[in-house]
Amino acid sequence: MRNPSLPTPRLPTLRAWARARARVRGIALAALLTAAGSAAAQEAPRGDALPVREITLANGMRFLVLPQRGSPTVAFVTQYGVGGVNESPGTTGIAHLLEHLLFKGTSSIGTREPDAELGWFRKMDVLHDSLLSTRVAQATDPAAILAMEGRLRALEDSARALVVPNELDEILSRNGAQNLNAATTNESTLYYVELPANRAELWFVLESDRMANPVFREFYAERDVVVEERLTRVDTSPGGLLYETHLGAAFQAHPYGQPVVGWMSDLRTHRREDVVDYYNRFYGPVNAVVAIVGDVDVDQVEAWIHRYFDALPAGERPPPVLIEEPRQRGERRVEVRFDAEPAVRVGWHTVNAAHADAPALVMLSALLTGGRTSRLYRDIVVERRLATFVGATLGPGERYPRLFSVEAYPRSPHTTLEVEEAIYAGIARLVEEGPDPVELERVRNQLEAGSVRRLETNFGLALQLAGSASLNGDWRTTFRLEERMAAVTAADVQRVARTYLTSENRTVATLVRSAPEAGEP
Amino acid sequence: MTRAQRAVLRAALAIVTAATAATAAAPAAGQQSGREAALALRFEPLEFRPPRAAEHTLSNGVRVLYLEDRSLPLVNVYARFRGGFSNFPRAYYAAATALPALVRSGGTRSLPPDSLEALLERYAISTSVGTGGGSSFAAMNTLTRNLDVGLGLLGDIVRSPRFDATRVEVWRGQEMESVRRRSDDPGRLAYSEFNRLLFGDHPIGWEMEASDLEPEDLAHDRLEWLHRRVFCPGNLILGVTGDVSWEEIEPRLERLLAGWEPCAEPLPRPPRPDVRTEPGVFVIPRSLEQSTVVMAHVVNVRQNDNPDYFASRIGTSIVGSGGLSSRLMARLRTERGYAYSVSALWTAPVDYQGLVGAVTQTKSDRTVASIRLMLATLGEMAEAPPTDAEVDRTVDEIVNGFVFNFESAAQIVARQMAYRAARLPDDWLERYLEGIQEVDPEDVQRVYREHVHPERMLILVVGDPEQMDEPLAALGPVTVLDIPGPAAAQP
Repeated sequence: MRNPSLPTPRLPTLRAWARARARVRGIALAALLTAAGSAAAQEAPRGDALPVREITLANGMRFLVLPQRGSPTVAFVTQYGVGGVNESPGTTGIAHLLEHLLFKGTSSIGTREPDAELGWFRKMDVLHDSLLSTRVAQATDPAAILAMEGRLRALEDSARALVVPNELDEILSRNGAQNLNAATTNESTLYYVELPANRAELWFVLESDRMANPVFREFYAERDVVVEERLTRVDTSPGGLLYETHLGAAFQAHPYGQPVVGWMSDLRTHRREDVVDYYNRFYGPVNAVVAIVGDVDVDQVEAWIHRYFDALPAGERPPPVLIEEPRQRGERRVEVRFDAEPAVRVGWHTVNAAHADAPALVMLSALLTGGRTSRLYRDIVVERRLATFVGATLGPGERYPRLFSVEAYPRSPHTTLEVEEAIYAGIARLVEEGPDPVELERVRNQLEAGSVRRLETNFGLALQLAGSASLNGDWRTTFRLEERMAAVTAADVQRVARTYLTSENRTVATLVRSAPEAGEP
Repeated sequence: MTRAQRAVLRAALAIVTAATAATAAAPAAGQQSGREAALALRFEPLEFRPPRAAEHTLSNGVRVLYLEDRSLPLVNVYARFRGGFSNFPRAYYAAATALPALVRSGGTRSLPPDSLEALLERYAISTSVGTGGGSSFAAMNTLTRNLDVGLGLLGDIVRSPRFDATRVEVWRGQEMESVRRRSDDPGRLAYSEFNRLLFGDHPIGWEMEASDLEPEDLAHDRLEWLHRRVFCPGNLILGVTGDVSWEEIEPRLERLLAGWEPCAEPLPRPPRPDVRTEPGVFVIPRSLEQSTVVMAHVVNVRQNDNPDYFASRIGTSIVGSGGLSSRLMARLRTERGYAYSVSALWTAPVDYQGLVGAVTQTKSDRTVASIRLMLATLGEMAEAPPTDAEVDRTVDEIVNGFVFNFESAAQIVARQMAYRAARLPDDWLERYLEGIQEVDPEDVQRVYREHVHPERMLILVVGDPEQMDEPLAALGPVTVLDIPGPAAAQP
């Protein structure tokens, strides 16, 4: 049988570029192995060589279009620069709730009679407002509240007669859509989908409609769905509770301390009107970046971009987050009691992702827990077997000074305290000795291979382009991490560990079994 | 899409996504977005020839599925072996479960674990070894320039594992801890207990216990004995994709296999499961604000060319595995807000019986209401066929999304290897595409009438009976499961 292969690229593509580059870097690395410390590794990746077409509309909406000649599919990622950090007490979870509501349709999709629906919304919203004021009145009979909740549900059921349920999902799915979903992070909300390449125009029709004319129907039922999502992800999940509590203790002022999914009481009190207002202000073109990656004709895509998005009003950017987390002056310790085995998270305040120290912190996390040769893994998991898992992360976001965190699961009968001490001792040793050149080289080689591997899918590429452009203002920034990492020295790693990973700057959260064991006081 | 159009599509073989070939009409001003504009779009047919892997046979009889892909400087090598913990008695459960992990982490005869890991990381070679119960696999991904190092290390790992004593102890300790933590997550607890209830003392139903994990259960000679029976050429099929020609890879694969001893003896066949058929309601009490619900019964539809199989795929997608638009999602989530996730399941293994049922995590005070709704939704398909629109929508999803089955060479080859392992024909995906287009609403109804019986469901709930809307006894006699183990303490 003939062995078919994929069509030869007609244009120089990102993958061809990466391929050429990796070959060059291969030579450079071989030279490095024989002449340690030579300048060979400093060869900069040519980020501006990527064939991304950038299109910015008059209303501020940015598009990044990257043609790829693999399978005939195309990935779309829309990223809005609004997320958990833009919320405040009482409005937490609003971006995430919107993530759900934007699947409810528009003034033409998902409805039989859009005008009639509005009348029902008004009735429901008035009843909901009185429900909220009834709930705060202490003396109210719980039966009265239950009755009002029942009436609200009945109204929404009546309004449902006008709804075509999940029509947006259905139109896309029928056209072969994959990966149809959305995600909310501390700084962003992302909507994504992949389509067969011949159906690309469908995305323009639907997404421009969704931006301009969304209707948040089935609002109260969807709020209940988000309550269930919070219960699944946080309230019945020991790991979720530990994470939420840890961030809450570490960030006393900065909104990184708030849960993206929202506090339960906020989820039960969000008002449709407030959500509409929030949407209208912050989800406009000025705050949106779209990455389109796949087997598309870039000129055709550019024409569609203008045709479908030029007319949308710009909207506004969310006010800048000016809150700064005050300097921490002493270790904080919190515990979560839950019916589960122990776990521990230790976090230190550091800097944001754009800061000059950020690459050294990434290097530090890789040296401590990245892979089976990393220091803490070898010491704590393999040699002393104090824990079954240890992992370092930087987060919860990128734009603002964030935590360097280490999480570990102790192995019985070892305690979280023993594991904690082992983590501190491992860090102290690294500060004392400094990483050796072979360790640093291993991390850099893996980053290089990772930078090739992440070009493998249209969807992965689209996420990177949109994320980098939305958070850093430039889609190239993500591709330059490797370059920044190459410049990190052993002394940099020692300096950042010494500077940030101090005892007075850390917050420790532990998960402790709630039910006392027999014999315990 | 009409049936006539589907027939055209079948004639055109793998050219998949044509509704009609008319070009898009320019929309009227002010009407360029929204429902009418979306429905007015017409798409060019997709010109696409799905790549297919070539099959080669090496000198010792091992088959290789190979597909070149020069788009990135990466090579993937995938080795799939027949055999996993399902082929061995319970006494070998721990060692057979540990085998892939220890092949990967326990070093090789020539390289202690630390040296092996250092080499893999220095050359940024990514490797993994795992098992699916009845089969085991080893995968390696490398930059093309490190291919020889990668193949050398992969060969060393799968052929000559050291089973270093420290790493065996690391694995044993981690597994003991995993046993301790089994009850921490309500979802994990529910699924493992449900398997145990249904499959009992069969590999599918086994759950690791501390008593399986004594040091002698992982004795060195036991690991080596198992290794010789699973990781040997008679059980092996290879897949290679990426930036390498067959002429370049063939001699390297020959070297990889040279002198590898044949399998010691044929693998014992896994026992046939004796699946529980009595219905029942079981509860694992936990003081949580949400209930995890799993329900299923045995079903005898196999993955093959039988029309029942295709009707079962369309039916279960409409009932609840088809995302937001499915009936269960519409009812429990969209309309009532009872649950964030709810899904139907219908497994159809090639060799033995599957399961049909549904799962959710739902509000504690809507637990019984949710279960009733799930049972009713599963049952009503036997009473009335799905609408034409539901069937057409589901078929369109599969037909129009078909091109996503060919996104990468690695995906194509891995799928063909899985078909071989399941003794499905190489063109199974095309047969599937044709088969699902033959399904009529009445086929779905017939298959549900014959095979799906809500009254036979085994139902397991992890949650707090005190908070539930009704006693679970309203659904039938309830058995309370007392889950032993250090993590099961309940006030």
